[in-house]
Amino acid sequence: MKKLHFILAAFLGLGLNTVQAQAPKGSVLIKNATVLTVTKGNLENSDVLVQDGVIKQIGKNITAPSGVQTIDATGKYLMPGIIDAHSHVALDVVNEASSPITSEVRMKDVVNPFEIGIYRALAGGVTVSHAMHGSANVVGGQNATLKHRWGAKDPADIIMHDAPRTIKFALGENPTRVHGRGNGIQPRTRMGVEAVLRNGFSEAMQYKKAWETYNAAKAQKGNTITPPSYNERLQTLADILDGKIIIHCHSYRADEIYMLINVAKDFNIKKLVFQHTNEGFKVAPEIAEYTMGASVFADWWAYKMEVYYSTAYNAAILQRNGAITSINSDSAELIRHLYHEAAKTQRYGGLTDDEALAMITINPAKQLGIDDKVGSIEVGKQADLVIFDTHPLSSYAVPQMTFVDGVKYFDIKTDKDDQRLMVSATEMVEPIFLRANEEAHRCMQDVDAYFEAFQGAFLEEKH
Amino acid sequence: MKKQFLKAGLLGLLVAGFLTQTTWAQSDPTGKRRVTSTYAITNATVFTSPGQAGTKATVVFKDGVISGIGSGVQIPKEAKIITGDSLFVYPGFIDGAGNMGVTKPKDPERPKDFVSSNPPDEIAGITPWRSATEQFSVSGSQVDDWRKTGFTISQIIPDGGMIPGKAAIMVLGDGNSTNLIQTNSALAANFRGSRGMYPATAAGVMAKFRDVYLNSSLALEHEKLFASTSGVKRPQITPTQSGMAAVVQKQIPVLFTASSDLEIRRAIALQKELGFKLVLSGLENYETVIDLLKASGTPVLIKLQVTDDKAIKAQKAEGVTEDTKAQYARVKEAYETALKQAAMLEKAGIPFAFSTVDAKPGDALKTVQTLIKNGLSEKAALAALTTNPASIMGISRVAGTIEKGKMANLVISTDTIFKEDAQIKHVVADGYVFDYEVKKKAANGNGKTEGNLNGSVEGVWEYTSETPAGSSGGQIVLKRDNGVLSGTISYDDPAGSGKVTSPIKNASVNGKTLSFDFDVAAGGMNLTVTITGEINGTSMEGSLSVPQMGSFPVKATLSSPSLSN
Amino acid sequence: MKRILKTFCASLLALLPVVAMAQIDGEFVKPRSGKFLLKNATVVTVTKGTLTNASVLLENGKISQVGPNITAADAEVIDCTGMFIYPGMIDGGTRLGLVEVSSVPETVDYAEIGNVTPNMQALTTVNPNSEAIGVTRVSGVTTVLTVPSGGLFPGTAALINLNGYTPDQMYGGFKAVAMTFPSSGRRGRFDRRSEEDIKKDAEKALKEANDIWENAKSYLELKKSGAELSYYPEMEQLSKVIAGELPLLIEVNAASDIQNAIKWVQGKNIKVIFTGVAEGWRVADEIAKSGIPVVTGPVQELPTRQSDRYDAAYSNAGKMAKAGVKIALRTDEEENVRNLPFHAAFAAAYGLGKEEALKAVTINPAEIFGIADQYGSVEAGKRANLIVSTGDPFETRSQILHVFIDGYRIPMSNRHIRLYQEFLERSPGLKSN
Repeated sequence: MKKLHFILAAFLGLGLNTVQAQAPKGSVLIKNATVLTVTKGNLENSDVLVQDGVIKQIGKNITAPSGVQTIDATGKYLMPGIIDAHSHVALDVVNEASSPITSEVRMKDVVNPFEIGIYRALAGGVTVSHAMHGSANVVGGQNATLKHRWGAKDPADIIMHDAPRTIKFALGENPTRVHGRGNGIQPRTRMGVEAVLRNGFSEAMQYKKAWETYNAAKAQKGNTITPPSYNERLQTLADILDGKIIIHCHSYRADEIYMLINVAKDFNIKKLVFQHTNEGFKVAPEIAEYTMGASVFADWWAYKMEVYYSTAYNAAILQRNGAITSINSDSAELIRHLYHEAAKTQRYGGLTDDEALAMITINPAKQLGIDDKVGSIEVGKQADLVIFDTHPLSSYAVPQMTFVDGVKYFDIKTDKDDQRLMVSATEMVEPIFLRANEEAHRCMQDVDAYFEAFQGAFLEEKH
Repeated sequence: MKKQFLKAGLLGLLVAGFLTQTTWAQSDPTGKRRVTSTYAITNATVFTSPGQAGTKATVVFKDGVISGIGSGVQIPKEAKIITGDSLFVYPGFIDGAGNMGVTKPKDPERPKDFVSSNPPDEIAGITPWRSATEQFSVSGSQVDDWRKTGFTISQIIPDGGMIPGKAAIMVLGDGNSTNLIQTNSALAANFRGSRGMYPATAAGVMAKFRDVYLNSSLALEHEKLFASTSGVKRPQITPTQSGMAAVVQKQIPVLFTASSDLEIRRAIALQKELGFKLVLSGLENYETVIDLLKASGTPVLIKLQVTDDKAIKAQKAEGVTEDTKAQYARVKEAYETALKQAAMLEKAGIPFAFSTVDAKPGDALKTVQTLIKNGLSEKAALAALTTNPASIMGISRVAGTIEKGKMANLVISTDTIFKEDAQIKHVVADGYVFDYEVKKKAANGNGKTEGNLNGSVEGVWEYTSETPAGSSGGQIVLKRDNGVLSGTISYDDPAGSGKVTSPIKNASVNGKTLSFDFDVAAGGMNLTVTITGEINGTSMEGSLSVPQMGSFPVKATLSSPSLSN
Repeated sequence: MKRILKTFCASLLALLPVVAMAQIDGEFVKPRSGKFLLKNATVVTVTKGTLTNASVLLENGKISQVGPNITAADAEVIDCTGMFIYPGMIDGGTRLGLVEVSSVPETVDYAEIGNVTPNMQALTTVNPNSEAIGVTRVSGVTTVLTVPSGGLFPGTAALINLNGYTPDQMYGGFKAVAMTFPSSGRRGRFDRRSEEDIKKDAEKALKEANDIWENAKSYLELKKSGAELSYYPEMEQLSKVIAGELPLLIEVNAASDIQNAIKWVQGKNIKVIFTGVAEGWRVADEIAKSGIPVVTGPVQELPTRQSDRYDAAYSNAGKMAKAGVKIALRTDEEENVRNLPFHAAFAAAYGLGKEEALKAVTINPAEIFGIADQYGSVEAGKRANLIVSTGDPFETRSQILHVFIDGYRIPMSNRHIRLYQEFLERSPGLKSN
């Protein structure tokens, strides 16, 4: 009995943390850069000293301790490692599209450290990505926050173990298409989406109560109460109610965003971030007041009905209304130039440099619950850093070097072209992927395979 | 209900088996029943277990059990004699996991109220109550194909979804026998999702596996409480939960099919989380997880199949672009690494066996030969076919070696088993003798002998090697005693100056290729270094490979050939 | 909330000159024609260097004068001190106007049924009222080639200016027949064909293309000889390509396909433009030797092969240009053609250089399409397609202040901007009163 409880406890709380491996940590002194700290202004001709993966000192004329390599960054720009709050890079499975709620599914189970997308993201200065379950289900799986330690062979080595748990939710067209229209089960409408959520949380409360009753009774002599059946799906929802998990909700329309805010209020859920949020600008005051903000595309719109009435000024409106706002990729291509995506907030809404940079650094860090560890250049933070040849918000900016925990994983000058970690021994000709951009968006990946058993691909890949 | 059926079925089988063994013989109008169940293989070269040299001996077995072995062993009068003078006898091979002779059960019909998000276990591929015995037939041609290559025992896994059911250990014996050694030997599992229903992907399968496992644990708790306390509601144990009981109680392992390194990691992660006994099966790409396999102590069954060389063979030497050349090089590197994986397992000290699932019986021995050419020792190869699977499956008491009292499972070949032109003439399984046609050898002088070594390798070789630490070299002294190649090698002392000498191990000559290992003590560790090279006259060129460091070129010349030749 | 609003207002004030002019331009709701004098700007002519303190006079839909000290008493004067004038940008390949919402099939009009449909006219289906047009033109992209896609000969592409109420008003004077060259590449993640099958399929498709081509040649020959041929619109259109009346836009991307396409074109004596050309850098010298111009893009794109350097797509245009290939850029987009300047910036940063990148979205496409007398630079006599910006239009921090198309001053507004204006400070705000 005890053992079982140990197992259950390990499950509920820790997950994969128990198999945590020691990630490599580096030391380096970067000299004479324009340091864009994001949170503490810009420092001209300044040095940043990293020791054992942590930022130790920021200032002028720092000398390198013995054994610490110095990098001359004169004329270059140093910024915090870019954080993508919405990605599907390095996942073998994106959608377990078979049920409207799949909160028991964990993306950490299917992390693939060999995916070339990790390196390509590093080449775009991205050091942390939020590897999310897809948007097929109202409540999708639990996401994994990754650190881009390229070259690691153990998935555990690229998982950011000190990041809090997060989970994917999805509203609107995708879940209603997959489940309602595809499978003939709820939800087929946005009403149904709300019902699925309320039903799920209400069941989770019952579930939690059943276990509490059992746990209280089981030690008593002559106890006749038997253990309820275990249900990680409901347990995860209960963990959300207990504030242990941050919701990241795929959403587009203002009405559905507002709906989820109301559901969250009713169930006293505070940790809520909206993803995509194309019509977030219409309910920006509500998002600002109640949630941890929105993570949005810089300019994507019109690829489906629920994003037709959107605006590229979304991020600016959200920001100006006080919502924590980040710019994300949801794409293996966009993730390579998030600095440029963030810069679009200057074209569309005239945001300041600091505001724009915050959207790909400290703001997504806040939304992922890791802003005490990464997202700015501050003493004591993890040394995830990027060196640019010019200001990163310039359209001509080219990332030069990218560091994770002080270890350099990308160097434009010295890296070899072919970065594949794994090559198939049976590959006749290397496959050529044309129009790769269309494949780069993986929000609905695995859904088509799931539906092969039905009537084929009536589900096109849509975000 | 399923379980009851299963029980009744098994009981029936056992009873039937019992009857055939004890019933007195009677007339057989087909004329096919064998006259005797006692056999003697006389004066053959017998290899009783891996690592043992072949000795001339006679092997006697009766009623499926080895009753005597040795040079002076008494041959019973009723024994049928197999003249073994020119033959080589090995323990029968054991397949750690196979699906030979298995017929996939029909998919159950979907109920009218079927909901794809919550399908019944049976439809979702979760059928731990099923047994491979229900799907297996020893009379299938697949079984004979595998037996023909020396396999006498197979742990059969059932066909199905993510948890298809229980494996069973079968002897590949006579078609009229039950052939069952052990039922419910392991629970088969894999990461295959169900098409069009929950769980559909590997991520869903892992979540569902946890769910099934933990609820089976809880069901046992409930049963215990029900048995000990009054006033407890009746447990409603599902077939899935009772099917999982032996796994949850750690009586039997989960035989997880995991072909790639990531799948292997996933299976081990699940095992660490839940605590079940784990055997990994069907490994194909595992070079990057050898340390993990070692550390976790997980028994492994690698796929009895070498990487397809179609891509390697298709590589053109000329008229290709630089792009293509670079692509070729990466593929070649991957291919060569893939072939060395089994040898790496041996070096790491991980006892492994084979799985025949998806492998081609016709290529089986060739596969093992290829692994040997790529650094696997013959001893480890034979162990992987015999003693290792026996121990992984817990049947060492009755199988894996040629010993008195063990099952009469033997492979009888025309030459030492891993020679290229060795052919299997007889296979004894469960004491039944299966005879196979032996093809005449190709006429002498064409093809095969050409590739062989003309002179001897014996003598003193001077060698040099290029490593990142610089150029170094020394002497290799080789001699042959009773046909066994041995000797010493000298090299720069890694701990200081001067030369040290180590004995040579696992030396062998295959065609023109010489290979051997030796141990180097460095920094408190013992590294096993392998040298393989192709001999041309009195020179040799090849590589020296150091675990975790890579391969480096090595050259040698035979400076003073042995005079004894 | 109050504090937020305060800081917001403060920052808004700081941005006022830019924001007010560029984004909240509520002065007029429809394009206006007239005589405009753009005074005292830095004029980046593209073809004739950069002129400082120069002015540009627009009248009758044309650029009538470029230079210092231009006066025109009857012209509406726009003071451009500190501003920059560029030619309107040209996107060499889009689906603009052919699709409104790509997931709604009822609004998707670029792919007709049939493998050989060269007679399908993109211009017919261009929706002048597409929201995307208004969204695109304020970015400085004034002209695009809009291209049907799908089968082997999916249709006839048309150059359009992003102003006008009928397709004919928008038509920019260039058409070309599109062709999708049979590909030996994988179509993407879900293409599970074997290597052999892909090769076989490509060979079969090429043979089919040749048969169709021969058919069209026969059609043309018979027609020339005065034969009375039955109605055959597909061959009628293809024969115009063979006769040299219409260029052929060949969409081709994989290196080996590009080589095959070069061979295929040889001896055909037709006007050809390659489009896409994702792996052009692998065979850049061969393309240069063939003399075939290239419309390449998207630039912001993944490499075609896993083994490729991460910036293969970014640097593709630069590598081809260096080898001597004539390059124009395209987005291959529908709703986000507005990103053309940013694609150009990436090409510039990864080897093409700023000057060449600017040409690749102005004069080069004009030359490739044979309309350089009308488009692609700020020169007297050309169409009045130009933009006024606060700086380099490839930089996101620059604002495009004015756009002129065919001499029309375009309202700097669209739905995106109107939504911004409405929702920046929503009313009612948080409370419902």
